[in-house]
Amino acid sequence: MKNKNLSARFIGRFSSIQSVIFATVAVLVLSAVVIVTGVSMRFTNTSIFENSSQYTQTIIQQMNQNIDSYIDYMENIAYLISSNEDVQDYLFSDEVDNEGRYRILKQFETILDSRSDIRNVGIISKSGRMLINNGSKSVNHDLDLNTQEWYTQALNSPEGPTLTSSHVQHIISGERPWVITLSRGIRDRSGSGEKEGVFFIDLNYSAISGLCDQSTVGTKGYAFILDAKGNIVYHPQQQQLYNELQTENISLIMDTDDDTVLTGTGNNGKLYPISRSDKTGWTVVDCTNVRELLSKSRQAQSIYVLTAVVLVIVALLFSRFMARSITLPIQKLRDSMKKVQEGDFSVSDVVVDSRNEIGSLTKSFDVMTHRIQELMEQNVHEQEQKRKSELKALQSQINPHFLYNTLDSIIWMAEGKKNEEVVLMTASLARLLRQSISNEDEVVPIANEVEYARGYLTIQKMRYKDKLEFQIDVDPSILHIPLIKLVLQPIIENAIYHGLKYKESKGLLIIKGFPKDGNAVLQVIDDGVGMDEETLAHIYDRHKVNYHSNGVGVYNVQKRLKLYYGEDYGITYESVVGKGTTATITIPGRQEGQK
Amino acid sequence: MIKKKKWLSICLVICLIGGIGGAAWYRQKKIEERRMSLVYIPKVEDSTNDFWKALILGTKMAAKEYNADIEIKAPTEENDIERQNELLKEAISEEPDAILFSPSSFTESNDLLKEAKEKGIRISFIDSYTGEKVQDLTVATDNLEAGEKLGKFAATLLGPDDQIAIVAHVKGVSTAVEREEGFRKGLGDLAKNIVEVVYCDSQYEKSRKLTQELMEKYPNLKMVAGMNEYSSVGAARAVKAAGAKDRIQVVGVDSSQEAVQLMENGVFKGLVVQKAFKMGYIGVKETILMLRGKSYEKDINSGCELVTPDNMYDSEIEKLLFPFNTLKLS
Repeated sequence: MKNKNLSARFIGRFSSIQSVIFATVAVLVLSAVVIVTGVSMRFTNTSIFENSSQYTQTIIQQMNQNIDSYIDYMENIAYLISSNEDVQDYLFSDEVDNEGRYRILKQFETILDSRSDIRNVGIISKSGRMLINNGSKSVNHDLDLNTQEWYTQALNSPEGPTLTSSHVQHIISGERPWVITLSRGIRDRSGSGEKEGVFFIDLNYSAISGLCDQSTVGTKGYAFILDAKGNIVYHPQQQQLYNELQTENISLIMDTDDDTVLTGTGNNGKLYPISRSDKTGWTVVDCTNVRELLSKSRQAQSIYVLTAVVLVIVALLFSRFMARSITLPIQKLRDSMKKVQEGDFSVSDVVVDSRNEIGSLTKSFDVMTHRIQELMEQNVHEQEQKRKSELKALQSQINPHFLYNTLDSIIWMAEGKKNEEVVLMTASLARLLRQSISNEDEVVPIANEVEYARGYLTIQKMRYKDKLEFQIDVDPSILHIPLIKLVLQPIIENAIYHGLKYKESKGLLIIKGFPKDGNAVLQVIDDGVGMDEETLAHIYDRHKVNYHSNGVGVYNVQKRLKLYYGEDYGITYESVVGKGTTATITIPGRQEGQK
Repeated sequence: MIKKKKWLSICLVICLIGGIGGAAWYRQKKIEERRMSLVYIPKVEDSTNDFWKALILGTKMAAKEYNADIEIKAPTEENDIERQNELLKEAISEEPDAILFSPSSFTESNDLLKEAKEKGIRISFIDSYTGEKVQDLTVATDNLEAGEKLGKFAATLLGPDDQIAIVAHVKGVSTAVEREEGFRKGLGDLAKNIVEVVYCDSQYEKSRKLTQELMEKYPNLKMVAGMNEYSSVGAARAVKAAGAKDRIQVVGVDSSQEAVQLMENGVFKGLVVQKAFKMGYIGVKETILMLRGKSYEKDINSGCELVTPDNMYDSEIEKLLFPFNTLKLS
């Protein structure tokens, strides 16, 4: 129950079909794009990372081979010199052969000249005979050679050359360079056959650093070499490491058996492809920033993301467009229905181009509203016709009783030989009849109505002789104002039959007309018996029609005035019992179609 | 209509936040990437003095690594205060981001340093300092500690009544005063056996002569202690020349090719070696961290090590005595 409420509320948030369609399409497209992008990014990342680490592994193995062949080359030199007859002679014979010495120095010179990566080359015998470089450098005689590893190892190791790690070469005084020394024991072949001398060759770092620099990946990558004990043979930041200003993950590399070590996580990680050499015992390591390795991947990823964003934007725009194109006709239809509901048929023509279900729905709606509109217009027309004919019928009639009574009065006057009065009465009746019959118009100037009232009053005065007196006082400025027909006479008739008729003494009836606040006001004032409040309250009621009048009662007059002029206009009554009644008719002073 | 306005304003706010963030990031990056200009004025640049060579190498390597240009303005003789002040004046007129300075005088450069400070140039002291606290940071050997190490070692070589002479470099200079004080402390009770302290003004020749005179003046002299490269090597030369290396023990501070040779030769019995390369390197590194607005240390002791004939071929000591100059390789 609660769930249903919740889901209803959730769906309720999307109050329009448009937003439902939009939201659905948007969510679907978004999730599809996100999933596809995520999967492909992950895949690209992994495959690029694997490719790169394989690539660095290949590079480091290549570098290791290069270093091996470099050392190989140096070993060949060492072998050549160690087995040289001149060297044997110079180191171990009792007498020094100067020519042989010269030839050795010449050979050393050639080696040093041809290779800039060789710092020193020399031979030393246990007895202290030595030849170094071209023989001109001063040898450090204070140095005890037995403290030097390269010397002792060459003498003590069984066969072949030995290689040191990085160390300082002290043998030449005044120069104490960092070098890597390759040394080889020389056997005294003519004498003991034991190792009695040492050949050594000092390598500076120009060749090795060149090899290492070639093998770096990226701008922040570097390569370095460790010896079998984990001491640094070469590192681009050797001096900083020696002074504890930098650190390197040496123990990590020495402890692992893997080809590749990864430290750190994500983009901050470092990749160490490792290659170990059996020949030198050295470990060659490349250090690469994962960030740089993955720069290609990041490029690809940013393209994915960009594409995804563009796709999402396009999809959102498209879904919005689609939702609109579906729901716009529905919205139009809804708006138009609302107007029709309020009774406004002017907007019922909804134009819908689409030929789908909504299109046909709209067409049906259009046809329907047109039909309703026609029917309503027809109805209104018929009602109008009916009302007009009724009104006409009412207006054209003169109460037959009034006519009979008047004719009776004329007869009595004629019998009494009252010629003048007969003439006046007959003339008045004739005018009354002419006016009521001849005029086809619904509306006449006030002047006409006043004249009609005067004729009627003249006849009534003659009939009631001493009982009735009347005065007409209408401002000429309002005489031209149009008034619907048969307004004044019924009111006067009412005043006579209900007010003055029951008065003992002579009654006075005053008709006043004047402009007031832009309106025209006509008043019928009598000093008859008046009305109590209850009678006054029911004066507009429909049943107040008696046979004396021509059927046009106060109710009828009031209704017609209100219909014609609006709710602000009409008749008002004031009455005091025993004093008289005043009926006031108010109509607008300016009317349409008035000249 | 209202909905559209809402969307628009949300977009605008997002753009605005993005813009501001981007600008701030870009500014920070600019500061971090800007190449800093530094000037270093050592006491001397001398091909025979490995201490200053290693220190200058350290400053250069650190400058390269931390994206800065460094200019070395060095007098050709140590203790040439006048020349050093001229170079300082010249450096100030160039308006670098920072001046790294190793004052030869405890007092004479203060006015110039204050002027530099007013111009907004940061000051870092390396190796020595002056009487006024104008510097933003100091990197130096703890000279008391260096002297004490030397003193303690010297005490092991001496009998209770053996006479000791000190050859110091410059009277009143902070390094000389502190090393002597530390040396006396390290000697402990034997400090009473110090017969004389002489000053060689950082000249090999003067040191040699003074030592010769001391040997004549005190025939029973058992030890000469030098307080820097010039005084130590000068003293050792005199002892070696007199053939007295077995009779008179020489100990000293700082090393050079000649000093190492003299140790191999058996003249020097002990040397306290400052970590010169480290000092120069850290000096530049911390100065740049300061310039880039990152956290840095104000007072750094770069440390020192005792070298004796027994440990001089150890890998750790070789690393300290002989700089591995990778700058030459690249």
